[in-house]
Amino acid sequence: MNSTTLTGFVLECSGIRKKFGDLVAVDGVGFHIAPGETYGLLGPNGAGKTTTISIIAGLLERDAGEVSIAGEVMNPQSTAAKRHVGLVPQDLAIYPDLDARENLRFFGKLYGMRGAELNQRVDEVLEIIELRDRASDRSEEYSGGMKRRLNIGIGLLHRPTLLILDEPTVGVDPQSRNAILESVEQLGEQGMAVLYTTHYMEEAERLCDRIGIIDQGTIRAEGTQQELVQLVGQRDRVRLVATGNLTAGAAALGNLADVDESAVTADGIDLIVKAAHNRLPEILAAATRTGVSVAGVDVDTANLEALFLHLTGRALRE
Amino acid sequence: MKAVAIAEVSLRRFFRDRSNIFSVFLFPVILVLLLGSMQGGASNPRLGFNAETPDDLSAGLLDGLEAVDGFVVIEYDTEAATIRAVERGEIEAGLIVPAGFASALQAGGDTELRYVSRAKDGLQGIDTAIRSVVARQSTLLRTARFAEQQGAGSFENALAMAAEAQISLPPVEVVATSSGEPFALAGLGQFDIWSQTTLVLFIFLTTLQGAAALVQSRRYGVTRRMISTPTSVRTVLFGEGLSRLAIALVQGIVVFVGTWLIFGVDWGNPLLALLVLAMFAIVSSGAAMLLGAVASNDQQAGSLGTMFGLGLAALGGAMFPLAALEFLSTTVWRVAHITPHAWALEAFEELVGYNGGFAEIAGFLAILAGYAVVFFALGTWRLRAVLTR
Repeated sequence: MNSTTLTGFVLECSGIRKKFGDLVAVDGVGFHIAPGETYGLLGPNGAGKTTTISIIAGLLERDAGEVSIAGEVMNPQSTAAKRHVGLVPQDLAIYPDLDARENLRFFGKLYGMRGAELNQRVDEVLEIIELRDRASDRSEEYSGGMKRRLNIGIGLLHRPTLLILDEPTVGVDPQSRNAILESVEQLGEQGMAVLYTTHYMEEAERLCDRIGIIDQGTIRAEGTQQELVQLVGQRDRVRLVATGNLTAGAAALGNLADVDESAVTADGIDLIVKAAHNRLPEILAAATRTGVSVAGVDVDTANLEALFLHLTGRALRE
Repeated sequence: MKAVAIAEVSLRRFFRDRSNIFSVFLFPVILVLLLGSMQGGASNPRLGFNAETPDDLSAGLLDGLEAVDGFVVIEYDTEAATIRAVERGEIEAGLIVPAGFASALQAGGDTELRYVSRAKDGLQGIDTAIRSVVARQSTLLRTARFAEQQGAGSFENALAMAAEAQISLPPVEVVATSSGEPFALAGLGQFDIWSQTTLVLFIFLTTLQGAAALVQSRRYGVTRRMISTPTSVRTVLFGEGLSRLAIALVQGIVVFVGTWLIFGVDWGNPLLALLVLAMFAIVSSGAAMLLGAVASNDQQAGSLGTMFGLGLAALGGAMFPLAALEFLSTTVWRVAHITPHAWALEAFEELVGYNGGFAEIAGFLAILAGYAVVFFALGTWRLRAVLTR
């Protein structure tokens, strides 16, 4: 199911606000997602991620703001908008006393699928989540990772325009985690819009085309990973473990474009470089030309963790 | 269709737990059959009869007892066999005629008949019949003895004359006229009334236990996920309620048919009785869904279900007949009608006691439908509030 609006976005939301008693859980959140784009909401526990996606998925009433999915206004009563959404909640939402096929068939029917179409799609999804061999076993007998995969499979059943995944890798072993991340990458490549919440920086960096940094119910910054990192104004530090004429080498390297600083250290040369990953070949070539022999390279890149620290004064996993 | 899908999965999960089959289907049926048997069911009470030395007088007593409608007389050879049969519950009571019964009476002496029963206070129907038959024979004997003393011949001749005179004399007739409405259940057996109240009690009680299934779905996060699909809260509740309704209907029909076939319970027009049953099952399902939306965990749903199931049954006449409540106090009777039980029982009473048709029970069905609508509406409102606010 592929649907977009005149603006070309699958999801558009703005000014979302939600209070629970005196607690403002979400305050003015807004962003948009284009077809095929994977958007990450990155923030620590309690930042407002789950409340935001619950409102976007039509599970929660909002106090203010607008949400539209594929041009349909979303609210808890909106069945039209919900047809476009596949939700994978953070906590498992499956019947443990039913097997994978029964769980999938049940939710397929709730999405209006019937007969051969349903059976075929259930088989496809069982293949995607690699549970075909265990499809007839009760899901309570599955490992944690298998349950997570089934949880995701239900969200994929009706080929949603927008797939919402709420921290799908929490409590999952590394192998299953990697499998889940690969699946999400493939879905994005297939053109599905994905809204992915996580408090794992590495997942956001690996999966997301754009990222919104959320904390205390507000989006503190938004953009591609590079754009966000640039917000910090932080550059990469490149440490060359080297021997030879280090002084001449440092001087030569300091004249290269995007190299802001160079200094000789006890075991080599340290450089401060903008976008070091783009400049490394040039740096290594220049070092060789000046008679410096490089035995090792260590790059400390600016990352989202640093950005979050910069924006909020707190670590991402506090 | 989505409601059917939800009901289908709910039933699948229900039947997957074998203990549910026992508690919801077998247990009530076994209980109804067991209690029905204890109540005597459809068969007449049985009276054992033993005459140690059979003679004309004991034979006359036996004939007199056998002529009475309402119980069966079984002859035993010995006193011990009669008592053993009573103790084993093979018969409800026994009457033992001592040896020399006739000769003692003919000699003008006294004698005693021994009446044996397991019930502490005897069995009212049998007691009355025995006293009546014995009194009639005593009257004949006293008349014969008096005639003998007055020189009317031997005791045997006098007895024959007295018996003949009793037959030829016209009996004194007592003419009864009724005033006011007849008591609807007067013509029904105890088990007929009891079956109606038991059916209503069990349907509501066991259906309320189904609230736990909705709570469990909520706890698994599945109900919330259903709401994330293009499925309304109303449909979710309706689907869950539909599964409870199916279970209640099957349970009700099993009890209904079982009591009808085994004990000959009178349910009036069977189709209309099934209609009342179906409507009450819908009300029970609505109540279960409301409870499932309100309760915060399985245990709470279970205990509240038991409390309301038994409490409303007691209040609504499913434990004490409504007629008894009416005699007790008009206020109590009015309060009883807060419950759907009272209206369902009145509908059954109309069908069974007055041979009522659809027109007579339509009002009761409408009131029950009102209960169902209110319960489902409140349940939907509550579930929506729990899930989306």
